[in-house]
Amino acid sequence: MKFRCERDVLVEALGTATRAVASRGGALPVLSGVKAELIGNRLVLSGSDLDLTIQVGVEVAGQADGVAVLPARLTADIVRALEPGAVHIEVEGEEGRISSGRSQFAVRLLPADDFPRLAESAADEVTLDAAALAEALRQVVRAASHDDARPILTGVLMAAEGDGLRLVATDSYRLAVRDLPGASVLREGQAVLVPSKALGELGRVLTTGTVTLRLGERDATFVVGDTRLTTRLIEGEFPNYRQLIPSTHPNRLTVGREPLLDALRRVKLLAREATPVRITLKGEGIELTAITQDVGQAHEDLDAKYEGTEMVIAFNPEYLADGVEAVEGDEVTLETVDALKPAVVRSVESQDYLYLLMPVRVS
Amino acid sequence: MSTEASILHADLDAFYASVEQRDDPRLRGRPVIVGGGVVLAASYEARAMGVRSAMGGAQARRLCPRAIVVPPRMSAYTEASKAVFEVFHDTTPLVEALSIDEAFLDVGGLRRIAGSPTEIAVKLRREVRERVGLPLSVGVACTKFLAKVASAVGKPDGLLVVEAGTELDFLRPLPVERLWGVGEITAAKLHARAITTVADVADVGEAALVAMLGRASGRHLHALARGLDPRPVHVGRRRRSIGSQRAMGRGPKTAGDIDRTVVALVDRVAGRLRAAGRVTRTVTVRLRFDDWSRATRSHTLPRATEHTEPLLATARQLLADARLVIEQRGGLTLVGIALGNLDDDDAIQLELPFDKHTGGTLDITIDDLRERFGRNAVTRAVLLGRDLGDSVPLLPD
Repeated sequence: MKFRCERDVLVEALGTATRAVASRGGALPVLSGVKAELIGNRLVLSGSDLDLTIQVGVEVAGQADGVAVLPARLTADIVRALEPGAVHIEVEGEEGRISSGRSQFAVRLLPADDFPRLAESAADEVTLDAAALAEALRQVVRAASHDDARPILTGVLMAAEGDGLRLVATDSYRLAVRDLPGASVLREGQAVLVPSKALGELGRVLTTGTVTLRLGERDATFVVGDTRLTTRLIEGEFPNYRQLIPSTHPNRLTVGREPLLDALRRVKLLAREATPVRITLKGEGIELTAITQDVGQAHEDLDAKYEGTEMVIAFNPEYLADGVEAVEGDEVTLETVDALKPAVVRSVESQDYLYLLMPVRVS
Repeated sequence: MSTEASILHADLDAFYASVEQRDDPRLRGRPVIVGGGVVLAASYEARAMGVRSAMGGAQARRLCPRAIVVPPRMSAYTEASKAVFEVFHDTTPLVEALSIDEAFLDVGGLRRIAGSPTEIAVKLRREVRERVGLPLSVGVACTKFLAKVASAVGKPDGLLVVEAGTELDFLRPLPVERLWGVGEITAAKLHARAITTVADVADVGEAALVAMLGRASGRHLHALARGLDPRPVHVGRRRRSIGSQRAMGRGPKTAGDIDRTVVALVDRVAGRLRAAGRVTRTVTVRLRFDDWSRATRSHTLPRATEHTEPLLATARQLLADARLVIEQRGGLTLVGIALGNLDDDDAIQLELPFDKHTGGTLDITIDDLRERFGRNAVTRAVLLGRDLGDSVPLLPD
């Protein structure tokens, strides 16, 4: 294998493909590598941790076809450190040679035969608007769990809902639901559970145009431009979230999104560790308070409209800010039942997104 | 270190056995062993024949054929312990509990109200004898370490005061095993170098001790041997974990047997957690295998909880993950569950009620029923008809 490529093009492609590279080598040492496959002028770089595989295609000046697995982190570091301009990569025996200008590197290759092969999915293709999906992922992925002890909650549910697609994620403390009306990707009643890590990575590469989706039995493949992302699906039953969404809310707060986020950002400074932010809800305006014992306290008043019973409700400030930040538009509503029941954050303008959040019980 | 001998170490003598002798006059003056399998406690009459705690029952009966073996009555010991600690707290607010039958009391500064430390110690022993009916040994010294050594030397039913300035006279002739932190291994290391008394330890010098035992142990022993121990009496020291364990015998066990034990243990520790008004983030499972080797597995939750269900789910997952090791080492002989990373329950992130049973309504109801009608008033279906044994008396969490 031998080719020439602009440094910046290669840096970007390596950056994307290596995001799927296993952080620890684990059982398969070859997974710490990035596979490079050259046919003609087309180079495909692949990184994989078995659960997630990212492939990036780039145009290069090819001189000899071939396949090699380069040590991922090292190769990316080398290429990034080179002077701008053309980079030459050539495989000789068990070594990969990387050179540019007067810099020359030789790195030991990993056995290419060991690299896992991706099964081509035979499923039908459907297309989605990339920008709309990116926005939906931004709003939903944040609510997914990172706790591997509860694997189902580390996934995002993608389900057919009416004539559209619904994305749902929860870490059991908050739940995000986003509808994409008209995006008929799944058959009626069909639902899959996609690892949130994969969708987070997908969100990073989505820009404009369309994204193509293929849903297999055990995996899902997303294609965006020259990037292909394949992830295993999570097996199991997503919790029944519908019964959680309260049908009526006796209390409703309407407040500016930016002012609330700003106030939370400030007050949060005094909400250390498990300390919540307390919100006093009353007629004209609300009060935010955080008190950490032996550290200090913060207090801020905020203009808002409130209809309902006067009450104090406490939240984890990160979780609340996550939800408020996710809604679109200038104004958000916070609907509550009481200080111990789930509260709902929504946009005033759009009903496509809902963020359900459990309060913190304070004594 | 205070300049006056004002720290008391109060230690009940042969606690379980003394309670038995108190409650049954026929046992008084005779060798009594509590616990049929393993010796949980032995009266001084049995100890005179060589019987010791944690000894196998068969060996104990060989040493002392006349011994009367009685089954343990854990609830009686818990009651007795509570009553004794009431006496401690009536004596001074500065009480540091070490276990259910032993505590440090700081009585410095009570001279004008209650008399000298020695007078207070005499009164304390009399009060425990009169109000609870149990023999108590007390050591009085300037430091916690010396007070503890003094009570041990003064046993049984004794009082030993180490006056300020006489510490080294008291300490130097004692065997090295009396020093805090000297177990079998350290003792063997010291004996190998002909160091047998505290005096030998003090005289050999810190550098030599550090070379023998490592930096931390060396310095620690050297300081103790010279009577130095700067630790004050700590009141209400908070527990850092809440745990319970259960031996399972050596026969074969089904997955169901193990699960029932885990359910019972989690039920117990979760109840104690809530009773203490605390929450936990880390669940640790302790395992002992048929070949006597041990292993622990732990998982830290993203948020603290006080609920039984998530704790049970975590414990079960840890056990499922350890299945291979359990098989390889010939099965389990002991399971323990410990809850760590404890915090006060004054701010709890609530969970979405996916399941009607989460959210704590069930926990609260069960805790309430047990509080009012006893711990066996309500149990889990899988535990029906199983004797889970009495719970060992514990200090309040």
